[in-house]
Amino acid sequence: MSDIGKVRVRLPSSIKPGDVVRVRSLVIHPMERIERDSKGRIVDKKYLYINRVVATYLGKTVAAFDTTQSVSENPTFVFSFRATDPGTLTIAFHDTHGGKYEGTADVKFV
Amino acid sequence: MKDHPIDRRRALATLGALGLGASGLTLSRPRRAHAQTLGQHETVDEALKRLFGARPLKDGGGIVKLDLPLIAENGAVVPVSVDVTSPMTPANYVKTIYVVADKNRIPVVFRTTLGPEAGQAAIGATIRLGETGDVRAIVEQSDGTLLAVKREVKVTVGGCGG
Amino acid sequence: MRRLVVLVLILAGCATVADGPDYSALPRWPSHAIPQARGDVRALPDGRRQAVRYEGWTTQDFGRFRTYAYDDTRPEIPVSRALPPAGLAGDARKGRALFLSREKAPCTGCHLVPGADVWPAGSVGPDLSAIGDRRLPDAYLYQQIWDPRVTFPNTTMPPWGASRAFTAEEIVHLVAYLQTLKGPLPPEPDAERNPFTRRRPTGFGDNLDPTNNPAVVIAEDAEKLWNAPGPNGRACANCHDGGVTRAMRGVAAHYPKLVAAYGRVMSIEDFLTVHGPERTGRPLLAESAENVDLTMLIKMASNGMPVQVDVTSAEARAALARGKASFYRRIGERNHSCADCHTPERGANKFLGGRMLADVTEGLTRHFPTWRTSQGAAWDMRRRFQWCMTPLGANMLAADAIEYAELELYLTSFDNGKPISAPGIRH
Repeated sequence: MSDIGKVRVRLPSSIKPGDVVRVRSLVIHPMERIERDSKGRIVDKKYLYINRVVATYLGKTVAAFDTTQSVSENPTFVFSFRATDPGTLTIAFHDTHGGKYEGTADVKFV
Repeated sequence: MKDHPIDRRRALATLGALGLGASGLTLSRPRRAHAQTLGQHETVDEALKRLFGARPLKDGGGIVKLDLPLIAENGAVVPVSVDVTSPMTPANYVKTIYVVADKNRIPVVFRTTLGPEAGQAAIGATIRLGETGDVRAIVEQSDGTLLAVKREVKVTVGGCGG
Repeated sequence: MRRLVVLVLILAGCATVADGPDYSALPRWPSHAIPQARGDVRALPDGRRQAVRYEGWTTQDFGRFRTYAYDDTRPEIPVSRALPPAGLAGDARKGRALFLSREKAPCTGCHLVPGADVWPAGSVGPDLSAIGDRRLPDAYLYQQIWDPRVTFPNTTMPPWGASRAFTAEEIVHLVAYLQTLKGPLPPEPDAERNPFTRRRPTGFGDNLDPTNNPAVVIAEDAEKLWNAPGPNGRACANCHDGGVTRAMRGVAAHYPKLVAAYGRVMSIEDFLTVHGPERTGRPLLAESAENVDLTMLIKMASNGMPVQVDVTSAEARAALARGKASFYRRIGERNHSCADCHTPERGANKFLGGRMLADVTEGLTRHFPTWRTSQGAAWDMRRRFQWCMTPLGANMLAADAIEYAELELYLTSFDNGKPISAPGIRH
C-alpha cells in the first residue's frame, strides 16, 4: 500500500463570494476489514482504518466525519461550506494507527 | 464469477465489528475511544438505542433526501448522499447526520458533524454494504429533533459462480 | 454413435485449421510477468498439480481442458449423449439447492426460477419459471443439462455432464426440480428480482475524476516512476522529453500493434515489459503495479482521442484473424467462448447474475486499465482475461502471451474511432 494517504480535493472551477461550495475528496486508504480466524472468531488486532475526517476553512471546522469500518476502501467524502473569503480549505484524514493525511484546496474568487 | 463467494465472505467479514477488535485499541487516546463508541459489532436496533435512547425518530420524508443506488453492483463501494432541506443559521441548523446500514455487522457507518458555516446540509461518502438491506439517514437538528429516512439497497454479485 | 460424432468433429477441426488463421512464424515468447500472472502450474510433492494464480483465486488445475494457447490443438469437449441412470430417484429439494449453489455454477446466473431467495438471477438463458408446464420428458431435460449441443449445436449453455461439472445423480435432482416448476405464476412482487425487467446498473460515476476514481490518483503518481532513473541511470523521461502528457500524446491510440522489433503484437503493457528494462534497467513485469500504473499514465495522455489500431496491413489482418478465432474458440470445463457472453446475438447486454455483460461491438478495451471497485485495484485487460477464464474452468496463459495480445487487438478493433477514456471504473 505505498499509495496510502494520497489525497485529492476538488472544488468547483469558479467560486463567487458567498457561494455554498460543494467539495469532493478522496483518500487512498485500505480501510481494513474485520478478519476472522478459521473458527469464525474476530481476529483481535488494531485494525487500520480512518476514523475521523476534519475539514477546516479560515480556522474553523466546517464539517467533520467520524467513520467506522463500514466506510469503503479509498473513500470519497462530500460536503458543502459557504465560501466567504479567500483562503485554504484543508481536509485531514486520521486513521487508527496515528496516520494523518491532508489535502488542501485554495478558495479563490474570479 | 469465481470470486464472488469470496467477495461475499470478505464483505461479510468486513462489516464485522469493532467488537472484540476494540479491546486491541488503546483507550488512552480520546479519539480512539470515541471511534469505538461509534462503530460496534451490534444489531441495528442496539445501535439506534445506544445512539438515540428513547428519543423519538420522526419521519424525515420530504425534508431529508437520501440518495443511493437501488441496486449496488458491488457492495464494497456504494455511494450515499444525504441532502437536508433546512436553514443553516446559528439559530437553526443541521447538527449531525448519521448513516446507518441495517444489515452490516457494524451498522453505524459514519456521523457527520456540521455547523451553520456549511451553508447547506448536503453530504456524501462511499460505504460498504454486506448484503441487501435498508440504509438509513438520521438527522439531528440543532433543537434536538431527530428525523429519519430509509431506503432499501439490493446488493448484487456476478453470475458465473464457482 | 459417439465415435461417429467424435470423428465428425475431428474432421471439422481439420477443415478449420486448413482454412483458418495462419499460426506459423510466430515467435516463442518467454513471459515477463509477475509469478501470479504467468499461468504456471506446479507439481506438489504428492504429485497433485496446482495452478499458480492470485491469492483468493482457485488453485485448481484445469489442465484437462483446452486453453487459448495456439499450440493447444485439442478439440473442444466431445459432444456426448446420455440417459438418466436407471434406479435413481430425483429429489426436487436437492435439485433446487444445486440450481442455486454458487459452488456449482450457479444455474441462476443465467436462468430465472421462482423464489424470493433467487437473487440475483441472470437472463442469458431462458426463464425457467414454468418449465414444468411444458411436459418435457425427463430424459430430454437430462440431456439438455448433460450436453445441450446434441439438440442445439451452437448453444451458449455448457455441457454440464459431459464436462463432469455435475454428476449424473446431481442432474437427476436438477431435472426433478425443474419438473416441479409450474404456472400459473403469482404476480412478481419485485421487478428487480426478474432480470428481464430489472433496470440497468448505473455504474460508478465519472472515471476521470480523481475524487471518484482512485486509479486516477495512482496513475498521476506514476509520473514519479516516469521521471525516476532505473538501475542503468536512465529514466523514461530522458528519451521521451517534454513531460509524459506531451511525449505520449496519441501513442496509446495505436496499441495493441505489431512491434516489428519483437515480431509480435503488443499492448502498451507488453511493450513496457521489454522496452522498460532495455532502456532503463528497471523490470516492468506484466501485471506488476509499476507496469499497470505506467500504462495508465501513458494512456491518460491520449484521453479523448479516438482509438486507431491498425486493421488493414497484412500483418494486422493475420493477427486479427487469429484473435477472432480465439474469440470464438470454446475453451475450458464450461466449453465457453468469449462470444457466448459478449456478442449481442448471445449474452451481451443481458444479466449474468447481477452484472450486465459487456457488448464487444461497443468496444471493451478503451477504458483499460480499469479500477475494479470489487477488487480495490486497477486491472489491465490481461488480468481481466485471466479472471474471466478462471471460473470458466480453463488454465490461463501468461499475461503477456501473444494469444492474449491478438485477442486484445481483435477486441480493440471494435473500439476504433471511439475516444480513449482511461482509467475506467467498474464493479
